[in-house]
Amino acid sequence: MSVIAYDVIVIGAGTAGLTAGARLASEGLQVALVTAGEPTACLSTGCIDVCAAGVNPLDGIADLPESHPYHRIAPAAIRDALLNFQRQCAGLHLPYTGAPDQNRLVLSAIGTFKTSCLVPVTMRSSPQNEEEKIHIVTFAGLKDFYPGYILSRLRNAAFSTYDAGVSTTMGIAANFEDDTFLEAFILWLEKLNLRENKIAFPAVLGLESAAAIVDTLEQRLERPVFEIPTIPPSMPGRRLFNVLKDHFRRQGGVIYWNWPVVGVEKAGRQIEAVRLESQGRPMSLNARAFILATGSFVGGGLSARRETIIEKVFDLPVFVPGTREDWFEQDYFSRNHGIGRAGIAADAAFRPDGCPWDNIFACGAILAHVEALKNGCGHGFAIATGEAAARSCLEYLR
Amino acid sequence: MKFEHCIRCTICVENCPVFRVNPAFPGPKQAGPDAERFRSDREKSVDDWVLLCSQCKRCEMACPCGVEPAQIILRAQQRYGREHPHTAAHLLFANNYYLSTLGSLTAPVANRFAATKIGKRIFRRMGIATYIPFPRFSFRTLRGEKKSISRGNRKVAFFYGCFINFYRPDIGRKIIRLLQSFKIDVVLPPQWCCGLPALGNGNLELARSFARKNVASLSNYIDAGYEVVYTCTSCGLCLLHDYQGIMDIPEAKKIAENSYDLHEYLLRLIAGKEIRPKFQEVHRTLAYHIPCHLRALKIGYPAAELMQRIPDLECRILDDACCGLNGSYGFKKINETTAVQLGSRAVSLISKTGAEAIVADCGSCRMQLGGLSGMASYDPAEILCEALGIRDKKQMK
Ligand SMILES: Cc1cc2nc3c(=O)[nH]c(=O)nc-3n(C[C@H](O)[C@H](O)[C@H](O)COP(=O)(O)OP(=O)(O)OC[C@H]3O[C@@H](n4cnc5c(N)ncnc54)[C@H](O)[C@@H]3O)c2cc1C
Ligand code: SF4
Ligand code: SF4
Ligand code: SF4
Repeated sequence: MSVIAYDVIVIGAGTAGLTAGARLASEGLQVALVTAGEPTACLSTGCIDVCAAGVNPLDGIADLPESHPYHRIAPAAIRDALLNFQRQCAGLHLPYTGAPDQNRLVLSAIGTFKTSCLVPVTMRSSPQNEEEKIHIVTFAGLKDFYPGYILSRLRNAAFSTYDAGVSTTMGIAANFEDDTFLEAFILWLEKLNLRENKIAFPAVLGLESAAAIVDTLEQRLERPVFEIPTIPPSMPGRRLFNVLKDHFRRQGGVIYWNWPVVGVEKAGRQIEAVRLESQGRPMSLNARAFILATGSFVGGGLSARRETIIEKVFDLPVFVPGTREDWFEQDYFSRNHGIGRAGIAADAAFRPDGCPWDNIFACGAILAHVEALKNGCGHGFAIATGEAAARSCLEYLR
Repeated sequence: MKFEHCIRCTICVENCPVFRVNPAFPGPKQAGPDAERFRSDREKSVDDWVLLCSQCKRCEMACPCGVEPAQIILRAQQRYGREHPHTAAHLLFANNYYLSTLGSLTAPVANRFAATKIGKRIFRRMGIATYIPFPRFSFRTLRGEKKSISRGNRKVAFFYGCFINFYRPDIGRKIIRLLQSFKIDVVLPPQWCCGLPALGNGNLELARSFARKNVASLSNYIDAGYEVVYTCTSCGLCLLHDYQGIMDIPEAKKIAENSYDLHEYLLRLIAGKEIRPKFQEVHRTLAYHIPCHLRALKIGYPAAELMQRIPDLECRILDDACCGLNGSYGFKKINETTAVQLGSRAVSLISKTGAEAIVADCGSCRMQLGGLSGMASYDPAEILCEALGIRDKKQMK
């Protein structure tokens, strides 16, 4: 039986893979994306961290060590990629506030502030200092969100609790999609006669209509409201994933779920196909080029063995920072573990160094020297490298 | 089934439709990998909530670590079924094939009875939900069709499935004509229910007996050079995955290696330049509801790729919502609220797209979404036929 063939196969449904895939599909190529599972975006705050250093993240990037892959992209191209992301989200009802050259703060669920760059519009009014008078509304039985943490740091904060009938993050968020629920909630809020200048909620204000729900709340309560990102399950992270996915599909891309690549077929300097071992029929998909966007350790792209680190799809050479002793700091919560530099080193065309095949391009967290935690450059880096790898791939195919 | 691989990221929980609306169900992480640590062969299973899992497999599709919570729960369900007496509703749906055979033979009476007040009261007494009408039996099933040979290059043994056979044989006839229009021979091999309803109702032995008969029959055709084509995505999942997996049927591998979803099959023939369909414009805006089990087949969304090639057709893909019916799941009274809530959510997402009609590969999705929304709902094959100018002759009369 004939095999199905695409122009490009993207491996991994994270921020990087979906961005690269959408770009390639928008250029008229047939693109399929295969993924083991859902990406780290679903665990994230949904905020786009570009580079946490400095007031202007683009300046912060300039100060990163020479080995950092950000330096393989022209600054203007990084900015364009981020602006493009903002445009595409706005068109899909999840606007992002902010600008690529301006960092801002986001209040976290434990009362600390996180530095980010582009934030979902639902966090637009997140306070920029500890003095603001805010009122937090939480939900009865909601685990994983304790206003007490925030109250202990922000002395002008107070809180109330609403009974939403369900107590799970997903359940409450789904309730907010129902107009009757929202109306009853607003009436309850109005009766509280709150005096604080801003009202905060854990990030459960709906799924696909979050931006509209926040608008409605602001109009009715006549003051700014904002969401506080929670630990997973994280609705803003899921909304980001959904928007990226939707955009990719609208460009004509197709997604194969639960498709962990376990093998490849090669001929000379080309990879011809990727393979899935499945209970059903062994399956393979052919393409002319491949984008490797399988993330680092959490995403599943890299895996640590006793003395070494392997790349799981193509078994590409991995940059390993020193020996195992150098991988971790004493402090577990350090942002500076050596292992954060592990990954695939790549050239200016985002071709992996020492790769025996010509038609593979890598992007996102799987790249070496990123140190996403230390540099605060998660999704922003994934978006910029996703676009850049797609561009190189496009040139290669033409 | 690798419950030790779970990193507790809760991604599966976010994807579980039942967990979202039914607080009695602890969700895939707890019901799957977490509870598995404590399940012992020496103790009788007591967790009746395992039955609340609809087996939509969404948890499995989302898990980044290959844990397969739905498989773990499916096994727990079979064990619960073995150790406890079956309710009337479970027995009934497990045996839906035999009942449907009877229903079709007596269609005019059976349909009228199912629609009466007494009929509905009896249904409810037996634990069967009646929020959407029970599907209408078709008097003339597909099984009665004559064999049709057109002497083409490829030979297809069509596994049509119960839904088409008993309720919508007209779609089955269209699919046969669609294949024949590409000079493909189509035969209807002797076949029984795939066994999924029995499995879903905790009746592994009954499921196995259906499976063995199907494997024996299809195997003969494969030996004679036929490829098996199925159209119901749940039948497909059962043939490809459950026969080899939980049912452990000898020779199942051969079936899996030679069976294709209808649209996947066409897409492959197009890729191999064996066929070149010429689609005419179809002026429609459709919402394509992806059945959970199509997702679980790991073949992408082949019907979407085909429909993309139809000029003027606008087709929005929706794969984040389960329709809630899940074969017989939503027809059980204990799941009625869950099914209605999930269905309404799926319908609200569909209506936000502004589409005029729904497409879905699975008959029960269409029944649920069409029933709750009042919108027309089509099998993707019907849309392909429309674009190729193929009609069901018998319906036209
Ligand atoms: C808990 C957590 C919170 C975070 N919060 C933030 C935040 O608030 N803001 C921010 O900007 N960044 C955040 N980040 C970082 C950010 O999520 C990542 O840096 C970025 O999204 C990486 O994207 P990616 O596409 O490269 O990889 P990933 O998101 O890791 O995606 C990898 C994809 O590849 C798939 N995959 C893996 N192996 C295979 C295989 N063999 N075959 C097929 N598919 C495979 C995976 O299933 C997954 O879909 C956070 C990260 C984590 C872990
Ligand atoms: S089963 Fe998978 S998705 Fe669910 S918590 Fe465990 S690792 Fe995460
Ligand atoms: S199979 Fe579906 S209903 Fe069952 S636990 Fe998984 S997601 Fe939930
Ligand atoms: S799964 Fe398929 S064969 Fe089985 S009852 Fe449903 S339609 Fe019929």
